[in-house]
Amino acid sequence: MLLDPQLRARLERLALANRTRLRGVWGGRHRSTRLGESLDFADYREYNPGDDYRRIDYNLWARLGVVLIRLFEAEDEMPLQIVVDTSRSMDFGDKFPTAQRLAAMVTYLALISGERVRLATVPGPGSTGLIGPWARHIGSWPKLETWLENLEPSGGTDLVAASRIVASTVSRGPIVLISDLMQDGWQQAVDLFGTARGGLVLHVLSPAELDPDLTGDLTLRDIETRTEVPVSMSGDAIDRYRDRMRGFVLDAARRCRRVGLEYVQATADEAALDRALRAMVASGVVR
Amino acid sequence: MSFLAPAALGLLALSVPLVVLYMLRSRRQRLEVPSVLMWQGEEQFVSAALPWQRLKITGALLLQLLAIVGFAVLLGRPFFREQTLLGPHTVMVIDSSGSMATAGRLDAALDQARKLAGDASDAQLVSVVEAGAQPRVLAAFAREPDAVLTAIDTIRAGGTSANLEGAVRLARGLATPDRPTTLLILSDGGIPGAVSEPVADARHVLYDAGGDNVAITGFGTGVPGEGATRLFLEVANFSVGPETVRVSLLVDGLEVGSVDFDLEAGQRRQDVVSVDAGPGQAVTAVLASFEDANTLDNTASLVLSAGTDLTVTVTGAGSPFLDALVDSVPGLRPAAGAPPDVLIVDGGDARIVDRPAWIIAPETPPTGVTLMGRLEEPIITYQRPGEPILDGLDLSSIAIAEADIVDAPGWLPLVRAGDVPLVLLGEVDGHRAMYFTFDLVRSNLPVQVTFPILGARVLEWLGGNRVAATSTAPAGTPIGLTPPAAGISVVTAPNDTVSTLQAEATTFVATELPGIYSIEYRDSEGVTVGTAVAARQFVAAESTGSARQISTTEPDVAEADEGSLLREWAPQILAALLAIILLEWWVAFGRPLPSLRRDNAEVVT
Repeated sequence: MLLDPQLRARLERLALANRTRLRGVWGGRHRSTRLGESLDFADYREYNPGDDYRRIDYNLWARLGVVLIRLFEAEDEMPLQIVVDTSRSMDFGDKFPTAQRLAAMVTYLALISGERVRLATVPGPGSTGLIGPWARHIGSWPKLETWLENLEPSGGTDLVAASRIVASTVSRGPIVLISDLMQDGWQQAVDLFGTARGGLVLHVLSPAELDPDLTGDLTLRDIETRTEVPVSMSGDAIDRYRDRMRGFVLDAARRCRRVGLEYVQATADEAALDRALRAMVASGVVR
Repeated sequence: MSFLAPAALGLLALSVPLVVLYMLRSRRQRLEVPSVLMWQGEEQFVSAALPWQRLKITGALLLQLLAIVGFAVLLGRPFFREQTLLGPHTVMVIDSSGSMATAGRLDAALDQARKLAGDASDAQLVSVVEAGAQPRVLAAFAREPDAVLTAIDTIRAGGTSANLEGAVRLARGLATPDRPTTLLILSDGGIPGAVSEPVADARHVLYDAGGDNVAITGFGTGVPGEGATRLFLEVANFSVGPETVRVSLLVDGLEVGSVDFDLEAGQRRQDVVSVDAGPGQAVTAVLASFEDANTLDNTASLVLSAGTDLTVTVTGAGSPFLDALVDSVPGLRPAAGAPPDVLIVDGGDARIVDRPAWIIAPETPPTGVTLMGRLEEPIITYQRPGEPILDGLDLSSIAIAEADIVDAPGWLPLVRAGDVPLVLLGEVDGHRAMYFTFDLVRSNLPVQVTFPILGARVLEWLGGNRVAATSTAPAGTPIGLTPPAAGISVVTAPNDTVSTLQAEATTFVATELPGIYSIEYRDSEGVTVGTAVAARQFVAAESTGSARQISTTEPDVAEADEGSLLREWAPQILAALLAIILLEWWVAFGRPLPSLRRDNAEVVT
């Protein structure tokens, strides 16, 4: 079970929010980029033959002598796509379990908000990755939870390819990316995600990555790429690493916000979900 | 710097394997990380062909080498030799005379003694002798510093002259046969001649701090009788500049008058003052509102007591001065043909003297005294210190035309001109005798303000103290006690210290402090049955504040070597080592507060 009952009860008091207009296939409760049938008045335009005469504003016709019809806002659903990074680099410490739980938390939030949601994984080089079914009702939660639980980190990933695949789907809802961004070209992927749909990046990093406790002469091997780097650990080397890591996190945050993505850095530990939820509330993604 | 265990320096060889360890290429441990992206730039590629690598001098290596050196030096027990006054057995003779109260000399001496006591090792013995009027051993062969410190803390400056000779003799008696004994004299030197010099196997630590000082150097009286009592008062200025002082006179604590003195530097001035006081009353002279280097000599006290009549006959040439003396001193009267109590032989034949006599320049000296010649215009160079008859009197300004040179074995010279005695004290046929070798009328002594005082004291002593002009004596003179049978004597000292003595104690000896001593006699049931008062005066010779180096002969070289102190560097080296280890840890890990650093890197949103 990815979400305990207490957390689910807490999530049921919250809902996903969207601060921009979006374009959905089905009607929903979010403001759409098109006009439609809601109760919210949007504008006037001149009457054209064939228009519904029930929308003619007779008061304006009597006062101005011009026949105008009232236009109303449309309300669409928010088709949400949650992309989980399943690369080997996530298989370190509690990073991947934390990513699974974060994905579950956002999925559950979307379902109880009545949004259409789809889960996907980042494809690796030469593969398409896994793309789950769309779901819209809370009754789909057990199926999606099982789908998430069955994920395993393996192989490499291609964030850029993932962004292109997701952007090419018909539904133009926001995207939630759950990843450690630990690969070359992460900047391009973030740019593509942002310009395509907007959304949220949950940046998962382990405490050991943020503050490594390493001593002596070591050969560091990249879990994902198998690249080896000989390093003599010293106070200065650790300090330089921390500076680079801090710069990486700050750079990721700046880049996400520049392209319209919300950014939350989640440290992979027991309190990760709580802190991430608080950060999402603070940034307006959840209310 | 030397080492007690130099073999331990061999541990310095440990620095060789340390350097070798740094030159050996370490086998790197493989460790998987999520990504090496963040470690780009930290790569240190090395050649795998050789097991050695070029030695890199790092801070950690230097600190570890320093630590090895520190440990080796620490185990080698480095020390330095510090010269100390202490020997295997050190007897500290601490001068507590009145002059040591000048400008904190005694305080400095006591501080030095305390420091030496603290420096003494377990193998060193320390004894303490107080050189006051009555030398006494305060601590003997003490190994514990606390015992020595306790003894030192009991020493207070008194108003007496130091019996340095006696103190040195007492200290020599403490010599230990099994270890060399060092005599350490902590003193301002005392009065010249107070100790036989050079003092063998001794060191003298001189305390010569000085300062302006004005003292009451003389305070006496004749026998109180009818009417006002005449007080003799002398004030001396030992300051480098002129001083104006006011001397207040108090009778039983109540001020009855005052006298002003304008004194040039080094000047002495005398005055005779009449006060309305009678037998049993205490009279105190005090320098009013005056602070100087030695405050003990700013006060002088005496106790008036009644005497009995003494008959005196003057034989020989006689002089108006002697007649006037007998007439003016209450309690003295001419014998008028009856056998006198005291005989004054002024010139003439002094061979037949059958009673106490004041012999003044006789033509024929008494038995046991031989005339050797005459000395023209002798100059007084010596006045016996601590002598009650001369206490507070300065005879140095007396001019004498000529004096007899006498050989008087068994007589005690009180005043001398070089080696020629001028005033002697002795006995003739078992009777007390005072011998003046010069004719009074051929000197200016009779016109000096001190003459009535000196004459009264001489006649008082010759009369067996029956006249007893005052119950006053120099500080340090024991006070006689007459407690009731099975009773006690309670003595209150000038500093309000109360001492209780049992009936068998007939003297109270702790009289170093000048001032009034009140005595109360109580019977076995605690009822007061009598009281008495006595005064002890500051010895005037101690007011000069002079200091001098006592000539000593140092212990031989071998003993001097033993008088050095070995101080080890261990505490300093341990502190340095601790600092190095902390620095090493900081350099190696760079995280003195790792938990805080981790918290700081926690979340970035």
